[in-house]
Amino acid sequence: MITPVKALRKNRFKTALIFLSMTVSIAAIFLISAISGGVVSMYSAMLKTDGDIIVTQKGIADTFFSDINRSMTTTIAAMEGVKEVSALILGAAPVDPLPIVGIYGVSDNRFKSYTLKQGSYPKTREVMLGSKIYETLKHPETIVLSKQTFTVSGVFKSRIGFEDGGVVMPLEDAGKLFHKSASIFLISLNDLGQSDAIVAKVNALNSQIEAKTTESFIDSYNQFKIIQTSSDVIGAMAFLMGILGIVSMMSMVVNDRKAEFGIMRSIGLSSGAIIAKLLWETLIIALAAFFVAWGLSEGVLELIEHAEKFQGYINGEITAALLLKVFIVSVVMALVGTLLPAVYASRIDPMSLIQRGGA
Amino acid sequence: MKIEAHALEHYYGAEHILRGVDLSIPSSGFTAIIGESGSGKTTLLSILSTLLQPTGGTVTYDGKALAELGNIDLFRRRNIGFVFQFHYLISYLSLRENVALAALAPEGIDPLMERLGIGRLGSRYSDEVSGGERQRAAIARALINHPSVVFADEPTGNLDTKNALGVYELFREFSNSGTGFIVASHDKKIADFADTIIEMEDGIVKKIHH
Repeated sequence: MITPVKALRKNRFKTALIFLSMTVSIAAIFLISAISGGVVSMYSAMLKTDGDIIVTQKGIADTFFSDINRSMTTTIAAMEGVKEVSALILGAAPVDPLPIVGIYGVSDNRFKSYTLKQGSYPKTREVMLGSKIYETLKHPETIVLSKQTFTVSGVFKSRIGFEDGGVVMPLEDAGKLFHKSASIFLISLNDLGQSDAIVAKVNALNSQIEAKTTESFIDSYNQFKIIQTSSDVIGAMAFLMGILGIVSMMSMVVNDRKAEFGIMRSIGLSSGAIIAKLLWETLIIALAAFFVAWGLSEGVLELIEHAEKFQGYINGEITAALLLKVFIVSVVMALVGTLLPAVYASRIDPMSLIQRGGA
Repeated sequence: MKIEAHALEHYYGAEHILRGVDLSIPSSGFTAIIGESGSGKTTLLSILSTLLQPTGGTVTYDGKALAELGNIDLFRRRNIGFVFQFHYLISYLSLRENVALAALAPEGIDPLMERLGIGRLGSRYSDEVSGGERQRAAIARALINHPSVVFADEPTGNLDTKNALGVYELFREFSNSGTGFIVASHDKKIADFADTIIEMEDGIVKKIHH
């Protein structure tokens, strides 16, 4: 272990370049995965609040486009095993000076899921604001949505960034604003074991609606798939860029240290020993880069979370699972990126040492 | 170990370097290969030491061809030592660590370095010692696994006369203890130390003196 560390210290400049290249790649993977995971988990958490089953318009690509008749909530609420049904309208609109804000129209029975910090739940022509947007808008008494003025009745705190940076209003008012009856219904059950039966019953009510268990909805929701796929593609690009960076830098390192590897070959060190030596060197860099990238990413996520510009909508979290995934990716990146130059180093002809200068 | 060359031929591109060399060298003793630049002595040394594959002909070690020796890296590590014109010590390792890099067992490192007069320099780096001391460290690295034979290519090429004579004296001393030395050099002073002198000219062995 001492020898690789000494070799890295001796080649400080190139070691620093490899370290930087890996740190940037690993941080990029951390950030894109954490942010996309954060978006998915925030929206999932919102849907899971008091929702064991979700009902949307059939065949829609996004819940924002869903339009279902809220009168069906009465029929669903009367079904055996159903504890409660709430209706939501999901929309977005500008709120001066913010270009876009999430607007949530909710049925009265859902207000209780918001923890009030001050004031009261909204009545007609009133809204309550998430604490984040309340701060961003500098404690407004009224807000204007689509040229209509609404009084701010209260402020709530939510751990879900979309809600904390959003506006909640009565379902009827949101319906007038967005010209729809409801976007989704959230059904909570007395017994989760009955979920499949109730899903079937709800689906039988109307051919224009689609009920799914929340888990199944989250697994199959196209928007989540798009976010996840985009994140995977960008992550893969960062991974490849990292590998390319290592390959090119390590190729230069091997070229600079040709004599060293020639000596090793001439004194009988096996090719495997030389390859292992170089792999150790990059693994040490990868380890350092991993921890620095982790710290860096936590810092950037913290900044993003508190940046007014993002209204708390971007709320990434580095989970233990993500840490493990990125750690494995970092190790693989180091090993794959070093392998080719290391194999080249292990094949350096010791003859190149004869009548050549300096190690 | 007896090293034999049979009808060795070697080309670098169109240049005919070795033109049918036949030799039999006992690995014990001190053998010098001398000749002018371009006579083929370095190429011959490289082929005899397994570093270079000849274009034609064969080299055998105790009657066995290279292909029969098994793992060539291990064979080289156990049986052959190298000293080059440049010391080729790894600059980020101390002298002792350079020797240890080649060692199959670490026990002999300190006594050997003491014997070579560099025992107190073990923790120094190559840029902290003199040229002669560097070359002694390179010799220690070549001798650490008690090889049957040490090949040296112009080992005194970068040394002053005093240090060059010191290196030859060391080769002489160790060859008396049973390690063979095969040394390519154009330095005529080597003749005073060698048991056998192979004189090369234009790719052929011109004369062998005992």
